[in-house]
Amino acid sequence: MSKLTVGRRNILKAGAASLFLAGMPVTGFAKAKPPGSISVIILEGGMDGLAAMPPIGDPDLMRMRQSVTPDNYLALNDFFGLHPSLKFYAQLMASGHASAVHATAFPYTKRSHFEAQNLIEGGGLSPFSEKTGWLGRALDLSGVAGRSLSLDMPLILRGYHENDNFYPASIRGSKKPNANLLNMIAMGHHMDAAQLFTKVARKSEDNVQVPRDPASLAKYAGRAMAQVDGPVASVIRVGEFDSHSSQTEDGNTNEGRLARQLSVVDDVIAGYRRGLGEAWDDAIILTLTEFGRTVAVNGTKGTDHGYASVGLLAGGSLSNSGVITDWPGLSKKDQFEKRDLMATIDYRSVCAACIEKSLGLDHDLIAQQVFQQPDLPRMFDHLFT
Amino acid sequence: MNKHFSIAQKTGLMFRHDQDLPEDMNAWIQSQLQAASPALGVATSYAKVAQWPDELQPDLSRRASMWRRYRDLKKQQREGKNGQETQAARQANRHENLMRDMDEHKFVQRNVYGADQVKLRFTAFWANHFTIGNTFDTGQMIGHAIDEGILAKLNGSFADLLYGMTTHPGMLTYLDNVWSAGERSEQAKGCARKPNCQAGLNDNLGRELLELHTVSVAAGYTEDDIHAAANVLAGWGIDFGEELPQMRKTAGGTNHWNAYKKRWAEPGSKKVMGQSIYAGRNGLQQLTDFLASHDATIHHISTKLCQHFVSDNPSTYEVDAVKLVWRESKGDLQTIHTKVLELAINSPEVKFIWPMTWLFQVVRLSGATYFKGWEKVHDYDDRLMSTKKVFEELGQSFWSLRQPNGYSDDKDEWMSAEMFERRFRFADAIYRNGKPRQSANEIMDRIGASQQTRALVASVGPSGRDRFITLMCSPELMGLEYV
Repeated sequence: MSKLTVGRRNILKAGAASLFLAGMPVTGFAKAKPPGSISVIILEGGMDGLAAMPPIGDPDLMRMRQSVTPDNYLALNDFFGLHPSLKFYAQLMASGHASAVHATAFPYTKRSHFEAQNLIEGGGLSPFSEKTGWLGRALDLSGVAGRSLSLDMPLILRGYHENDNFYPASIRGSKKPNANLLNMIAMGHHMDAAQLFTKVARKSEDNVQVPRDPASLAKYAGRAMAQVDGPVASVIRVGEFDSHSSQTEDGNTNEGRLARQLSVVDDVIAGYRRGLGEAWDDAIILTLTEFGRTVAVNGTKGTDHGYASVGLLAGGSLSNSGVITDWPGLSKKDQFEKRDLMATIDYRSVCAACIEKSLGLDHDLIAQQVFQQPDLPRMFDHLFT
Repeated sequence: MNKHFSIAQKTGLMFRHDQDLPEDMNAWIQSQLQAASPALGVATSYAKVAQWPDELQPDLSRRASMWRRYRDLKKQQREGKNGQETQAARQANRHENLMRDMDEHKFVQRNVYGADQVKLRFTAFWANHFTIGNTFDTGQMIGHAIDEGILAKLNGSFADLLYGMTTHPGMLTYLDNVWSAGERSEQAKGCARKPNCQAGLNDNLGRELLELHTVSVAAGYTEDDIHAAANVLAGWGIDFGEELPQMRKTAGGTNHWNAYKKRWAEPGSKKVMGQSIYAGRNGLQQLTDFLASHDATIHHISTKLCQHFVSDNPSTYEVDAVKLVWRESKGDLQTIHTKVLELAINSPEVKFIWPMTWLFQVVRLSGATYFKGWEKVHDYDDRLMSTKKVFEELGQSFWSLRQPNGYSDDKDEWMSAEMFERRFRFADAIYRNGKPRQSANEIMDRIGASQQTRALVASVGPSGRDRFITLMCSPELMGLEYV
């Protein structure tokens, strides 16, 4: 991994400080529109990376988790296979438009969903330390907006006032909201709330009919991002990865709870592909999950909270496909605390590389201001060249 | 807002449009906590308010038998037998045997018509604290857990509430405990000798019992503690669809709220956070009692109560005041709740109102008829949406599939354009389809609306609809700050 020289870092610090004084967003490049788009699929519950991308070549895999390893996996190379639910993603891999980073995690090892979810979205140094999210801070630095495809505004996107959300309503008896009335209501509200009612007013002019399944929302998000003045970032959440029980079906390791959710992820990626059109060429999509799951299968045909997992990346801005990893091994002595897949790559570096590619921000600036970790290793070259 | 309504907004659901206001609010608060809580509602939209009929409030064994019946007919449907494959038969099966829609409807009606508004707010707090997400099978039990596991236990101790909710079949199913077996249990050992048989520990409930329901991560417990707690829990609960003879055999009885499968239990004593827990059925109560009185639990939940009712950032003084009465009363909920209410009333801070609570308050204040009667739950109505759909659209329901940490008390989690759009749209829909009995002006007079609210409402012109929406989306009614 690259090391930074002291001199270079000092220059950047000075740059950021002067821009802070100027009250302007720091941009790491001269163009008005960033070079690409970034989309994050949050996999809620802790996705089992060892089942999504099983290390078939690891002699310990089948010994420890045969009942949750799909036997119908697609072989990516001699060592890694891919879950059969990820069909579209597999095609992208074949065409050089998808990669994966394995045995990776945010630096959090305590296995609480809620601490870990907060940390992977907040992107600070510890859970609940941030009121804004890493993507929100990156967009704030770039001065460009992102959109969440959800009813709420997830922590990951908070931190830039232009960020917005979209989740179509279906309420009997209510007509399309009236923009004038909404603007007047906004005038009676304080700051943040006023801004939100103003956004509702702005949106009330659109008449978008989109089904609320994740794949349709992804397609809508892709189309929005493809527009000249559209958002440059989007976030979609897919739930139910907390596979403590019945992770696979009885007698069929290719089906079951995890297989269903991975199909949703695959559909979301395909939705983005369709919606983005030509904008696909500059797009990057990455998954984000709070932790992986135990190496061993538990007593209820599932797996419990663990540490490292896999990150799936897709988009035309990847120039070739690969599985990037520093494989730690699955034997007891190689496991984290004798139960979990060890993390050997800091997933924040992957997120930072995707920000660098899509928003054109400098890595050192991202490390310092987005992740508050000035010595965060730069992974850009491993992913994008 | 005048005293009556600012208190009712913060700690209750607002006085209904036709309800007399109490003279002494302090006495009223006390009587609220002690009041009997029958489920009130209406049989048809414009019928008189009455108690929910018993036959719509089945007990656990009846719910379990309906669930077994549902699954049996479902099987016949898949096999194309006995006419069960028809659309009508499938619908009848759902309506007759699944409790989810009826339960949510009852919860909503009781929140709209109930005379026990303060108690209902505490019910919501604890139902959220002990979240049971809807994984379909739990949908049959969530309503029972809220009524019998929480509302019926609000005048007892926290220890009883905790034990009751930990052993409730809804919780044991939601967090996978019904399938968990102790590592050295008879079941696990027997299974190890058979092909295709798997039995062992699942730590899901053990982890959340410590993290969410009691001491919280701040207590600094270890993975070993979680593991030990899961081993204490192993054996508790049984699949809700289990046939009764089989249940008698494995659990020694047919009471779902006390189902303990000895063969699945972990032998020997365990140690959780330094506390030895003995083997056997009584070990769990020993564990929940230990956790219920743990300092970290008292701190965690006192803080959470304050954040919900008193202030987004409660002071040490406020949290300590709750902790003190908690310890002195040995966790008596009525004493704890009384202190929380006192702090809430004395704090000048405006609290953001949850979407669900806001909707109840809008309907109560305006006297709108926005929900169907219990006789019409399954009937289509071209004016009134199904209760299930209303809360799905609003984005908050105790019958949704969600994570075990429940809904947040952090205002930031509820600040989004789409969330605000829903407030506007529901205020609109309640006005158009609910036919409120009170106009915006009448409501403002009654609650003593602030000058800012009156000015805001006046600014939108003469339309009754626009004025109603504006009032309900005003900072004052949403629990937000003014400009």
